[in-house]
Amino acid sequence: MTEEFEPRIVAFLCNWCSYAGADNAGIARIPSPPNILPVRVMCSGRVSPEMVLRAFRAGADGVLVLGCHIGDCHYDSGNHRTAKRMPVLHRLLGYIGIEPERFRLDWVSAAEGNKFAQVTAEFTEAVRELGPAKQVMEL
Amino acid sequence: MIEELREVVGELLSELDGVLALRESSEGVAPHLFRSGDDLAELAIAPRYPMASVVDLLQDTDQDTKLGVVARGCDERALIELAKRQQVNLDNVRLIGIACSAEEAEECRCALPYPQDLLVGEKVEGVEDRLIAEHEALSREERLEFWKRQFAKCLKCYGCRNACPECFCEECVLEDEMWVQTGVLPLPFPSFHVIRAMHTVGKCVGCGECEQTCPADIPLTILYSLLRRDAKELFGYEAGGSIEDQPPLLVTLTEVPIRE
Repeated sequence: MTEEFEPRIVAFLCNWCSYAGADNAGIARIPSPPNILPVRVMCSGRVSPEMVLRAFRAGADGVLVLGCHIGDCHYDSGNHRTAKRMPVLHRLLGYIGIEPERFRLDWVSAAEGNKFAQVTAEFTEAVRELGPAKQVMEL
Repeated sequence: MIEELREVVGELLSELDGVLALRESSEGVAPHLFRSGDDLAELAIAPRYPMASVVDLLQDTDQDTKLGVVARGCDERALIELAKRQQVNLDNVRLIGIACSAEEAEECRCALPYPQDLLVGEKVEGVEDRLIAEHEALSREERLEFWKRQFAKCLKCYGCRNACPECFCEECVLEDEMWVQTGVLPLPFPSFHVIRAMHTVGKCVGCGECEQTCPADIPLTILYSLLRRDAKELFGYEAGGSIEDQPPLLVTLTEVPIRE
């Protein structure tokens, strides 16, 4: 019997908004997928392309980066950096043949438990559709 | 063209402390700082040499020397990007722009084979890189296979980084065990070249030194060219273009917004 594929998703969550947003979802008992492996970072701007690639190399099927909405960054413009380089990385993944859909950037505030649950659920299903990244990385 | 260049350099030497150009001797062709009185018959144009890196090196110890630099299009662009990152100071640098020949442009698959400030030579049309069109015709699966095969050839000699005029960091992520494993060949996918590609965004001026240096013939410029196109699409930025434009990834959205 083959086991059903459960995607492993590394989610980089900024300390001030999105991590608190995840907490909010928990406190409000809004179900979110158990596939998410959260990594708390002080700012989404801290998430370097190297970190995303390393997560893939380490076996992640999908990588999610969540930060404060533009204008709400605890460090004023840390997420501006995220907003700029992640779309470039998204395209680069496509160029080298990794499905860009395995990587997503979004903004979740501390009050948006609902949005956290929605984004993680959507992304988990999208990655489930794509199948294991292993078959891409180890081709 | 070479005679005209020698003449221009000879004239400029009276007002500058020295002119950086190529010199041909019995040992071959190498960059040389020509000074007043030097034999300009030894001044050479070819082959192409990354002059921006030499300026960077010279200015590490001395930024006051009034320097002339014989610069091709790519040298000029590289110097502009280096200046934006405080690696060179162009206040004391006089660029002596030269145009590349049609053959040279073809060999480099260069889209912009002349400097903005052209002093010697005739502009020739840029060349469309056929490798880009070929790459774009591939399916995702084919691209994956293509790049895995290419990256698997990498000997990790760091030649691409070392030859790059825009790579100046004292500490390089590519030497950090956290991101690039040591003692493993071929390198795990995706790492080294994908990281390096990200680091060229808004910096790569398309000089092609990386690819020319690569002992494994990895067509690195395909990725960098695609990312240069993205920088233009997403941020309206062309590396090595206007000295006034700010490198998009180094500033906030307020300064350089993203174009959706």
